[in-house]
Amino acid sequence: MPTSQPLPPKENALFKRILKCYEQKQYRNGLKFAKGILSNPKYADHGETLAMKGLTLNCMGKKEEAYEFVKKGLRNDLRSHVCWHVYGLLQRSDRKYDEAIKCYRNALKWDKDNLQILRDLSLLQIQMRDLEGYKDTRYQLLVLRPGQRVSWIGYAMAFHLMKDYDMALSVLAEFRKTQTPKTFDYEQSELLLYEAKIMEEAGMKKESLEHLDKYETDIVDVLAATETKAHLCNNMDQKDKAAELYKKLLERNPENFAYYKGLEDALQIKSVDDRLKIYNDVLETYPRASAPKRLPINFTSGSTFKKLVDTYLKKALIKGVPPLFVTLRSLYSDPEKVSIIEDLLLGYIDSLKSEEVFNKSDEASEKQPPTTLLWTYFFIAQHYDQLGQTTVALQYISTALEHTTTLIEGYVVKARIYKHAGDIDEAVKCLDEAQSLDTADRYINSKCAKYMLRANMVKEAEDMCSKFTRENIPAMENLNEMQCMWFETECAAAFQRLAKWGDALKKCHEIDRHFTEIIEDQFDFHTYCMRKMTLRSYVGLLKLEDVLRRHPFYSKAAKIAIEIYVHLHDHPVADSDENISKDQENLTPSELKKLRNKQRKAQKKAQQQKSKEKQEQDKRESKPKPADPEVEGPKEEELIPASLQKPEDPLGEAIKFLRPLQQLAREDMTTHILAYEIYSRKGKILLMFQAIKRGHAIDSNDPRLHVCSVRFLQKVQASGELADAVKTVLEEGIKSIYGQHTPDTLNKEFLNRNTNSLMHQFAGAKMLYELHKNSKEAVSLITNLGDDDTKGVTPQNCAEILTSLCKGELGDCPVETEAFKAACHARFRVATFFKSPKSETMNGGDVAQPITNGPETSEP
Amino acid sequence: MTKGRTELGDITVHNIKQLKRLNQVVFPVTYNDKFYKDVLEVGDLAKLAYFNDLVVGAVCCREDKSENQRRLYIMTLGCLSPYRRLGIGSVMVEHVLKICENDGNFDNVYLHVQVNNDGAKAFYEKFGFEVVERKTNYYKRIEPADAFVLQKSFKKKNNNSEKETLVNGK
Repeated sequence: MPTSQPLPPKENALFKRILKCYEQKQYRNGLKFAKGILSNPKYADHGETLAMKGLTLNCMGKKEEAYEFVKKGLRNDLRSHVCWHVYGLLQRSDRKYDEAIKCYRNALKWDKDNLQILRDLSLLQIQMRDLEGYKDTRYQLLVLRPGQRVSWIGYAMAFHLMKDYDMALSVLAEFRKTQTPKTFDYEQSELLLYEAKIMEEAGMKKESLEHLDKYETDIVDVLAATETKAHLCNNMDQKDKAAELYKKLLERNPENFAYYKGLEDALQIKSVDDRLKIYNDVLETYPRASAPKRLPINFTSGSTFKKLVDTYLKKALIKGVPPLFVTLRSLYSDPEKVSIIEDLLLGYIDSLKSEEVFNKSDEASEKQPPTTLLWTYFFIAQHYDQLGQTTVALQYISTALEHTTTLIEGYVVKARIYKHAGDIDEAVKCLDEAQSLDTADRYINSKCAKYMLRANMVKEAEDMCSKFTRENIPAMENLNEMQCMWFETECAAAFQRLAKWGDALKKCHEIDRHFTEIIEDQFDFHTYCMRKMTLRSYVGLLKLEDVLRRHPFYSKAAKIAIEIYVHLHDHPVADSDENISKDQENLTPSELKKLRNKQRKAQKKAQQQKSKEKQEQDKRESKPKPADPEVEGPKEEELIPASLQKPEDPLGEAIKFLRPLQQLAREDMTTHILAYEIYSRKGKILLMFQAIKRGHAIDSNDPRLHVCSVRFLQKVQASGELADAVKTVLEEGIKSIYGQHTPDTLNKEFLNRNTNSLMHQFAGAKMLYELHKNSKEAVSLITNLGDDDTKGVTPQNCAEILTSLCKGELGDCPVETEAFKAACHARFRVATFFKSPKSETMNGGDVAQPITNGPETSEP
Repeated sequence: MTKGRTELGDITVHNIKQLKRLNQVVFPVTYNDKFYKDVLEVGDLAKLAYFNDLVVGAVCCREDKSENQRRLYIMTLGCLSPYRRLGIGSVMVEHVLKICENDGNFDNVYLHVQVNNDGAKAFYEKFGFEVVERKTNYYKRIEPADAFVLQKSFKKKNNNSEKETLVNGK
């Protein structure tokens, strides 16, 4: 041992017992033994003992003391690998992986063959994706323990992850030579499939296929092997073999859409009839399979389509399949199909109502139970909702509910129609009704909570969720603990609409932390997967973790957070509450002083109350949870809405949320729009242009991007002198995107190019106003809603425009704004946003209500 | 005709609102909160009727000790109108009669029917119920206000021949 402070046998024995206690989590005993050594004045400075004492304290939750002792120990014995290892472990428990890696490396300097330290180091390296370092460490481990399987696999995997496929394969081949497979050897089988996967990734299709064929008998996961082979054959133009394999796969599972696609590829289908034959062949063998009935509906048309969809619909309507519409919604991009479906449905309803059959002119048509008519009403209501025909949709869903008042799904559909039509409050009422009819149904409960959040009813939504969350703790807390992200994203959006910036940011940060935590959770899999040899899944996991923040939950939270931080940059929240400051204007100085005092007292009281609650909470928390920081990780900083909404550097915070989007959601226009908004406020002209360029590559005609473009060109024109390097880059780039356009000509051209789209006209109008301050002309572009060919005339878009008009983004135009609102109301009767207080009392939307006599008509 | 499935299911705190909605549509009378509270306590004496997995009917009874007898009183038995003549009512009546039979200690089972409701009267008579009384002004808020009392009597368990007719009485 290279330690500079060797212990005599008695103390050394005690030290060994400390280590044992640590491993067995007997921390109190461990401290006792440590005391046994340290109380001897001769060894009071013994570094390794001090370090171990610190590590033990860390496990008991005493973080500060832990650091103190470990550091002291290390100082006393810098040449001890134990001290360095302990310091590494401590850093690791705080998730400071980079620091931990450094400590381990120091530890290895003094004991370069220490297996435990090497293993720990390799885990950190793969977690941090330090692949080069990982490879070196795995090499060390292989040299030290060539007899262990894990050594070989780990070394090979390091090469695989570094895309050095040849090395990976030769290490694996070398290793497999030493193995003699048993019968039904799952681990051997996984290894073989893993090799095939590496070959495929390396582009060695032929070798991969040969490999799979050669070891066919040793591979127990037949499904995976067959799928890979079929896929490989298709890519290698061995179409016959591919077809045969896909047919075999379809026999295993006739519901897998991908197999049909593979088979179509393999057979190089040209005509619709040939294509149809594939599905009919499967149906003959498996008449109950649903995929071969559904898929041909996508690619057929005309009378064939009609026949197929007719059969498909009838079967489901008889059976009563609530999500039937969802399975067919993808067809609604094709107007011909929509009209065929509509004709069929109207025909069913007519016949079912009068004769209880699907087709009254067909003698053989079988008599139907009443539920068939009900499900037909249910379907057609969704059909009309999809087409934006709110009134008809509402009529049909009401008919369905009159027919069967207990049809819970009916209330859900009714709610959705109202939501689409822009009346979220009515939608909430409908879902609340649905939820109350079956309070044991969590799906409907969650749906109801979601709609409540859309209606900004946060408290109500939380209460709704609490019916299913753990008792005795607030639902909000439990939902966070459960990483319930649909709730948190919707909640953040609701807070954003309510201008509760701090609360919204809290939710966004919570979501961000979930993603961090999921990445942390990887750690355990590094050892587990290697041991269990689930290599393909393990590599899949590593690749998934690398792009985890690509998930829409993250994008949504990040978008909200960035929008808010940008807003807080433009309009920082004042120290005192805004409402109070408004009132203060009319106060005399002495009154003001009194008020201030009162506020201060109230604040103090609230703080005391809060800290008291916090103490109690801590007490509660500390009791049941045995502190195990190694598992729990470091305690995170508490998120407090009041301080979140006063960030020191809002744009810096925004950029933190932006980074993952730029890396992982490059194909999303929103990413670049957000980037532009941030960088334009930081005055970073090159980064602004970078955002525009990337957006341009996605969709040069996007209205949001157009707004950025016009503003950007204006800015460049106005900015005058730029550094030469910047200037050259910009000038070239601008020319390639905008040619010779000025902001003005660019906007004109954009408007002319997009006359039939409301949101494009809106973007153009906004820019027109910014450029010329001509309100009349700008407003005239968007206030004409009569034209049916105009795209994007939805309640949601119109609401956005109305909000913008009210904010004066198109200048001061109260008359036009009112007119626009009235036009929207005429078009979207149900939408609450366009109702003036007057029209609401006269008639509540589309629902006719009995008119009561006003006071002027009543007899005196 | 494509056959539908009829099944009976329990009434629980989770689905009791479906019973309320159903009764609102089916009966001209409104039932108070106590009615729905009690229904949760009577076990098999209250059931929902499902047709193709949808709640379309319900039956609610209670034990009754009037006239020095042990009686079963059918408080409500009904079915949504589109689902009538599908045998769902019969399933519910048979369920009630089966309870009486299994218990073996009921003197009779009875119910009230509005005097103009010929359909209901005929329906129960099919199961061996008989009009035993006409109660004037039984209903307070609906017209006609009179009700028939329909009753089916059982001899106690020791008389087997009577029980036979009960089972075959449908």
